[in-house]
Amino acid sequence: MKAMHVIRREYVENVRRKSFIVTTFVVPIMLSLFIMLPMMIAMMSPQRVSRVAVVDQTGNIGADFVAALTDTLKNGRPQYVATIVPASGEGYEAARKAQIDAVQRGETDIVLAIPQGIMADEKAAYITREQRNYNVLDRFEKVLSDVVLKKRLAAEGLDYERVKNLTAGVKVEMNQLTAEGHVEKKSFLSEYGVVVIFALLLNTAILSWGATIAKSIVEEKGSRIIEVLLSSLTARDLILGKLVGVGMAGLTQLAIWTLVGLTLTGGALPVVLAQIGPLHVPPIVFLYFVIFFVLGFMLFASLFMIIGAMSSTEQDAQQMQAIATLPMIIPLMSLMLFMQNPNSGVAVGMSLFPPFTPILMLARIILLTPPLWQILLGIGLMLATIYFAVTFSARVFRVGILMHGKRPSLRELIHWYRMAG
Amino acid sequence: MQPAVEIQDIVKRYGDTAAVDHVSLNVPAGTIYGFLGPNGAGKTSTIRMLMRILLPDEGRIRVLGEDLGKVNLERIGYLPEERGLYKKMRLLDQLTFFGEIRGLSRREARNRSGAWLERMSLADRAMRPVEDLSKGMQQKVQFIATILNEPELLILDEPFSGLDPVNSNVLKDVILEYHRRGHTIIFSTHQMDTVEKLCDHICLINKGRVLLEGTLSSVKQRYGKNGVSLRFEGDGTFLHSLPEVASFQDNGNEVFLRLKDGVDPGRVLDAARARLSVLRFELAEPSVHDIFIEQVSGDVR
Repeated sequence: MKAMHVIRREYVENVRRKSFIVTTFVVPIMLSLFIMLPMMIAMMSPQRVSRVAVVDQTGNIGADFVAALTDTLKNGRPQYVATIVPASGEGYEAARKAQIDAVQRGETDIVLAIPQGIMADEKAAYITREQRNYNVLDRFEKVLSDVVLKKRLAAEGLDYERVKNLTAGVKVEMNQLTAEGHVEKKSFLSEYGVVVIFALLLNTAILSWGATIAKSIVEEKGSRIIEVLLSSLTARDLILGKLVGVGMAGLTQLAIWTLVGLTLTGGALPVVLAQIGPLHVPPIVFLYFVIFFVLGFMLFASLFMIIGAMSSTEQDAQQMQAIATLPMIIPLMSLMLFMQNPNSGVAVGMSLFPPFTPILMLARIILLTPPLWQILLGIGLMLATIYFAVTFSARVFRVGILMHGKRPSLRELIHWYRMAG
Repeated sequence: MQPAVEIQDIVKRYGDTAAVDHVSLNVPAGTIYGFLGPNGAGKTSTIRMLMRILLPDEGRIRVLGEDLGKVNLERIGYLPEERGLYKKMRLLDQLTFFGEIRGLSRREARNRSGAWLERMSLADRAMRPVEDLSKGMQQKVQFIATILNEPELLILDEPFSGLDPVNSNVLKDVILEYHRRGHTIIFSTHQMDTVEKLCDHICLINKGRVLLEGTLSSVKQRYGKNGVSLRFEGDGTFLHSLPEVASFQDNGNEVFLRLKDGVDPGRVLDAARARLSVLRFELAEPSVHDIFIEQVSGDVR
């Protein structure tokens, strides 16, 4: 069968391209960076010693605060070097002013001013010239609160540790009952992350490989390779060869991405993600991911094939591709709403609409494992649509591929379809 | 022997205009057949119908003894006018692919591609992408792709365009070699001297119709009896209005005159010598170039 040669050519040439190697290895790295970077930044503690001047009107809280501020740098040395500036009564404002001037001159970094009324409800002041560093501010606030709280409790004759234990909050864990009757721990945040990652990957893979098909057809058409091809093989062989060859190149890329993903989730990623919540991607999700990639690719590729056959230049093709990608954007945009109730009638209906099925059905599978019949129905509907799309595009392709010049109207497309029949 | 190509009364219309208008012709097997005509005459449309790229609106085509719909297209090699190669694909891979889709096994396609690249002095580029090659080199690659599976019928649309004389000769030798081995070759070209040297049959079409068809010698004979080729110094424009002259073609350094039937060429020579210094006067059969121009410019249908 001659389609075999086309399959081999499409596969080898696509996998050999520089852009393939780049996207295959750069995309997962970018994605992991995208996830890990904020956390890495948050985890990075400042590597500089800060000089703190504590202007203390109370006479004792300042000392307790400095004693409690025991943070160290990575090299084990104290992060803060604090000096207490006692300033009782009217001297407070002047001392405060003097320390602010010291900050101005660069002799100190942070001024923490503790007024007498701190034991009631007066605010302490944190003054610095540096970029707002909320980590330090948070830390100061927490330490100072603890110190003041201890003093207030002591004044009432209460034990700090005891009160702390007695007033500890209660946590409620999120659980979900799966279709199989298992109770699984769930976390909205991590689930949302997983769904978005899978949806974006699926979207990128389907659209970029679909566009690859359109591009290669425009090239063959523009350079008249198509005349040589069609004088040696049938349009059916060519289309089939392209779908399978390019699809396999896409699968190769996904396989690499999956391997990288599994390695990361098996290794470094959970440590980082554990901070958000339990990450749970059942292996079956990867299988569905591949299934929906293949189906989504076939559906959109047959659309992109018509676009390629209709276009005389790559610009022509790109304009039309922008419109053709809309059905992929809509499910992405509705994902957030969709996730709040993935089992509603609208959600089920949308996930069964073939152009939306890859992303939305996959999202539902990750979120709640819908009944098997819904998954199968979605796949069945897609297969039927693909059958019609490929048949239609094969017929339009044969006529359109040899036409040059003006872009055809929809009416002409239908005319081509009839001609080929 | 049956013709390699029989075209019977084919018509191809684009909208209201007929690009090919009731064309019939026979290409005898084993010939080098020149398919000539001005731009837009319908040559490429006819060739595309031969390759089943276009379907004729009317008429019948038989190729290599079979109806066109049934013939295995692998038996026909087609070099399209506008070249088509995958720019990013390596030469050897590309030729192997074209060989494969034309029915060769992978190994055979690779071996033959290697041998041809060697012969066409492209062996050192075998692993380079096509886009690194000059136009002339790409032309040779395209040619190799066409003949790789040794098709019985070769259709070459302007095979020499863009080639220097050395490479043109390499190609010509291959074409003649195929001819000697009995393959049929259809040439479409504007290079009349090539036609003159290579073709044994010609067909001239204009505005979608066949103007003349036959062996080169028979076509020339029909014209050759009363042609005069004249080289001179001086202003020869008056020759045009001599009563003996039927048509006049200025070729720059010389003119070609067709005389009216029954006229004595000596009288034309006398008339010319009376006003010009004649360097050469020759009773000549017209060149294909002359026939082409006379036929096409006279065709004011």
